[in-house]
Amino acid sequence: MELFFQQIVSGISIGAVYSLLAVGYALVYSVYNFTNWAFDAFMAFGAFMAFYAISLFFMPFWAAALISIVLTIVLSVGSERLAYRPLRLRKAPRLFMMISAMGANLMIVNLLNLIFGGSFRRFPVDAAKPFFIGNVSIGRMDLLAGAISFAILALLWWFLYRTKPGLGVRASSIDIMTASLMGVNNDAVAFIIFAVTGALSSVAGVFYGIKYAVFPYMGLVTIKAMIASIVGGLGSLPGAVVGSLILGVLETLVAGYISSTYRDLFSFLFLVIILLFFPNGLMGKSGDEKL
Amino acid sequence: MNRPSSIFSWLRVPLVLVLAAGLLLTGCQQEKTIKIGYVTEQTGVEAYIGQATVPALQDYIDEVNAAGGVGGYKLQLVAYDTRSEVTDAVSVTKRLIEQDRVTAVIGPSWSAAAIPMAEIADTNKVPIIATTASNVNVTVDEKGELNPFMFRVCFIDPYQGFALADYAYNELGKRKVAFLTDVASPYSVGIQRYFAEHFVELGGEVVAEEGYQTGDTEFRAQLAKVKDSGADVLVAPAYTYRDAGLIGQQMNALGLTITVMGADGWFVDDLLSMAGKELEGAYLTNGVSTDDPAFAPFNAAFEKKHNVKANIYTYYTLDAMYAIKYALDQAVQKVGSPDPVAVRDALENMKDVQVFTSKMTMEPDTHNPHNKPILIMTIKDSKWEIVKTFIPGQ
Repeated sequence: MELFFQQIVSGISIGAVYSLLAVGYALVYSVYNFTNWAFDAFMAFGAFMAFYAISLFFMPFWAAALISIVLTIVLSVGSERLAYRPLRLRKAPRLFMMISAMGANLMIVNLLNLIFGGSFRRFPVDAAKPFFIGNVSIGRMDLLAGAISFAILALLWWFLYRTKPGLGVRASSIDIMTASLMGVNNDAVAFIIFAVTGALSSVAGVFYGIKYAVFPYMGLVTIKAMIASIVGGLGSLPGAVVGSLILGVLETLVAGYISSTYRDLFSFLFLVIILLFFPNGLMGKSGDEKL
Repeated sequence: MNRPSSIFSWLRVPLVLVLAAGLLLTGCQQEKTIKIGYVTEQTGVEAYIGQATVPALQDYIDEVNAAGGVGGYKLQLVAYDTRSEVTDAVSVTKRLIEQDRVTAVIGPSWSAAAIPMAEIADTNKVPIIATTASNVNVTVDEKGELNPFMFRVCFIDPYQGFALADYAYNELGKRKVAFLTDVASPYSVGIQRYFAEHFVELGGEVVAEEGYQTGDTEFRAQLAKVKDSGADVLVAPAYTYRDAGLIGQQMNALGLTITVMGADGWFVDDLLSMAGKELEGAYLTNGVSTDDPAFAPFNAAFEKKHNVKANIYTYYTLDAMYAIKYALDQAVQKVGSPDPVAVRDALENMKDVQVFTSKMTMEPDTHNPHNKPILIMTIKDSKWEIVKTFIPGQ
């Protein structure tokens, strides 16, 4: 039983990191109907910025995280200006935006590799000793990561449902053309969405870096967030969170009880089964309001 | 349809002339240079390997060229990136051999790529020297037949598995082993197999066999099972030090405190800063140590010039390069040209040749270096420490 609880705790802590990224995918997809493959790079970039803010400039953790968020927002918004907006304005097919995103991703990741080198770095914060309930260990950093992740997601929910710019984003997610005819500023919506997703990927990168290591290709994990966001229903925020937690727990249980070799096989199988029965994902809506 | 062909007809003569001149010129160039191919990881998760080896090879080649080259030939390095992918390793090897017409190829660093590359070497009759690919089947195939054009400069997995099992059972008194193995890596699987064989032979017991896939970062599910299994030693023969570091960190997070053992894939200094604390008291096998004072001047000069730390991949890659230089000298002396087959013959018959790290003798029937010593090392105060030198067969 202890082993089971340990696996569940590990699974939830993995799911919490997935959920930050999955929400980013959901947000971009809900409005622009394309998958922003560049998250990968934003996440690694965010982790590197926080890493160097601490190790080179000896900043306290919160300041480094803040700097990383700001810089990643700049990168995210900048990439929107350079790589997506020109395509959007020319009404290019969505596929082109995805390819443009992949290009941006490759470029940024390889630049990180070139500038900082490919080695694996330990994030320079002391991950405090875990505490134990019985024999089940719970990481303090995992708890913090989980708490902050969910706090950020709650804040995002508040922003989308309780503020006027949030209303604009939701309107755009239903129909971006109509929304702009009704006076919603398309460019402002794009700014908000990419700023928010930049911030989310930076936070995810920092926590992932603390939990594992900082290296240019750390963003490969975003494929899991992508699965989670599809399972939850592409474009649905609560769906992204639920999908992430389910996926995190499923992965640890499969690795723990069946075979770690088949973990990814199960992840993708799970995705296929969900899509067979829920073509729009668990909480996805086919029609009007997506967020 | 007629008009365009008439336009091209008057172009034909100058075109043929230009092409012929081009052929002649390339012919001239080929006479003066010997191309050495290098298959490595310059991007991807293992980019640290290429970053610490390509400059070292280039430095050495520049040195050789400055001293007059090999029998009047200048050496030229052609390095291609595999992105740590087997498919890329195969296609760049073909490109090196078929398009660049290299005389010999150095690399790769991992067995999963070296095994298919051996076939390309044999088909095209161009020798390849693997650097750190230590799976048995790199040079000798499953049926026990030698791949005549495939060589290596590192020792093979059985030695590492054997030495580790020996040390765990006899010196550390361990009796119950758990494995955490990268199931996609023949290197990792090979070491596990040979460790298990010898450990059981000695009287030990295998209590858990956990696996993961290359590139995984999450091991807690498997480690929780290891903890549950009652093992007193965990063997994690990770090919990349990242896995070892993450395993150490996550063991710590789970409160799992048994001894961990690994192999030479662990031996990159960055592991110490990544998880030196968590891996305190862990053991690993290794062929050569970057802490060896004999390499200190080289390490310092290398880091100063390239702003990258030399690691064991640097040493092994240089070993391969030194062996090729020796074989080229021999071939040029014997047949008057750097013929790949003559280079192969010279490699096969190497005896006590000084390479970068040591003197090397090639076993003609296995193409493995003969009796390379294995160091058993431990991590103490976040530093490597040699505890025993193990010579196979002794």
